[in-house]
Amino acid sequence: MIEFNDVTKIYGGDVKAIDDISMTVEDGEFVILLGPSGCGKTTLLRMVNQLESISQGDIKIQGQNVREMDKIKMRRNTGYVIQSNGLFPNMTIEDNTMIVPDLLGWDRKKKKDRFNYLMDLVGLNPDDYRKRFPHELSGGQQQRVGVARAMAADPPVMLMDEPFGALDPIIREKVQDEFLAIQKEVKKTILFVSHDIDEAVRMGDKIALLRDGKVQQFDRPSELLIRPNNDFVSDFVGKDRVLRSMSLYSVEDLVTTFGLKNKEDTITDTKEISIDTSLRIAISMLLNQEADQLVIVDRQGQAKGSLTFDLIEKFLHQEVKGA
Amino acid sequence: MNAKKVTSYVIRLILWTLVIAFFFWAISENMFGKIFEEPGKFMELLGRHLELVSISAGLAILTSVPLGILITRPSFRRSEWLIVNIANLGQTIPSLAVLALAMGFLGIGLKAAIVALYIYSLLPILQNTIAGLDSVRPEMKDAAKGMGLTPAQVLFKIELPAAASSIIAGIRTAVVLNIGTAALAYLIGGGGLGVWIFTGIQLFDNQTLISGAVPVTLLAVLVDLLFRGIEYLLVPKGIRLARKSAMESV
Repeated sequence: MIEFNDVTKIYGGDVKAIDDISMTVEDGEFVILLGPSGCGKTTLLRMVNQLESISQGDIKIQGQNVREMDKIKMRRNTGYVIQSNGLFPNMTIEDNTMIVPDLLGWDRKKKKDRFNYLMDLVGLNPDDYRKRFPHELSGGQQQRVGVARAMAADPPVMLMDEPFGALDPIIREKVQDEFLAIQKEVKKTILFVSHDIDEAVRMGDKIALLRDGKVQQFDRPSELLIRPNNDFVSDFVGKDRVLRSMSLYSVEDLVTTFGLKNKEDTITDTKEISIDTSLRIAISMLLNQEADQLVIVDRQGQAKGSLTFDLIEKFLHQEVKGA
Repeated sequence: MNAKKVTSYVIRLILWTLVIAFFFWAISENMFGKIFEEPGKFMELLGRHLELVSISAGLAILTSVPLGILITRPSFRRSEWLIVNIANLGQTIPSLAVLALAMGFLGIGLKAAIVALYIYSLLPILQNTIAGLDSVRPEMKDAAKGMGLTPAQVLFKIELPAAASSIIAGIRTAVVLNIGTAALAYLIGGGGLGVWIFTGIQLFDNQTLISGAVPVTLLAVLVDLLFRGIEYLLVPKGIRLARKSAMESV
């Protein structure tokens, strides 16, 4: 758990980079610090592992005040990933990954086992990469190693500063999915800086939207999209915010409340999609006019009925207006 | 093969032909005779030359590398310009003048020559140490710090390996320059192979001149090669390979 209590950062006597932030990140929660550049999101992250000092207030990790902890020890027990991954060019992938365990004095066997486990986790073959150097890897591979390195000593808390920001969009999406799968398995408490609303909605359990060092809204992604607190939040998430929010629901969410229309066998131009499909994709398919009838099939491949705009309108009315 | 490569091969070929022609001429004219006539004297001069170079360059390394490390630490950053300017001063004064100045303070002899050569070697090493450490990407230091490396561990595990090739190149430049400059030590009574070079010039005696000058040149070339070998050994493999692949992709 990470607690922020009235945290403030003052530069040069009067500039408030972080202005009285209080919030709590629960154990195993994935929280995105989102905001435009200069909003203080990176500063806030770096205050947690004391790379930036705290001017006022307290930050506590697992109930312990970070200011009272030994900086070096605390950092070794906190995963840290940065945008350009910061792999060390003079060390092999194994040495890079095992740098914290090495500092903690683990024996060779334990380090080797851990390396093998981590590389499998991030989807790289340990023996292929052990003796290679960072420059021989692609950006996506380097970033996977960066993630593995941050998890090396199994820290409960991970701090990630736009870790996937330097990757091209296609690779980024892939690495994001992989990381979500890893997170499902390891359940770390994660603080993740991003400026990308899509990334934030995709990845976060909760999003803290910052502006000028203040938290504008700290909520679940769907709440942020559907019920923005103020004009800044609604502008930042974009005019298509409701459509965006539909990616957080699956067709199944709609089916459980409203059911489906009966499938009409007279219509021949039909298309089948799985019940797990996100509502955003389903809506897009309707808008694209890909077929005259969109048939929803369950996990067994059994047709359940057809999806129409009426049903989607009802669902939106319930979710957005809170009927 | 591209035009650039061909040109470089041709130039190399011409240079080597000239070198071989020179040695052919020198040997056929018995220009190295002095070395064989007075081997004892030659060894004494060579030994003195090496002594001048190794003591002055050794002290310069021991001063400049730690100094370079010290002034690239965050708390000393502001004093960087001051120290670099002082070292620059030593370099802008012509080598002969440094020798003359040293003689002014310390009189004639070995000590004055070593001090002058030492001052003259400081800057290339200091500059390259600072440049090498400055070239380490700040994100890398940040990542290291954020993972809980102590400042000393950041220096030894990350910064110095990354800066090694630059630092060694600085040392190589300084030592090679030093070998040439040490020939001037004769002028303030420092001895070394300069003794034969200057005697040869004064007496229009090519044999004496060449017996002094060629060994100095060969010494410089050999030391240059030696340091390239040291660079190969000390620069971490990953950095060497990364640089190579970066150069090939250009």
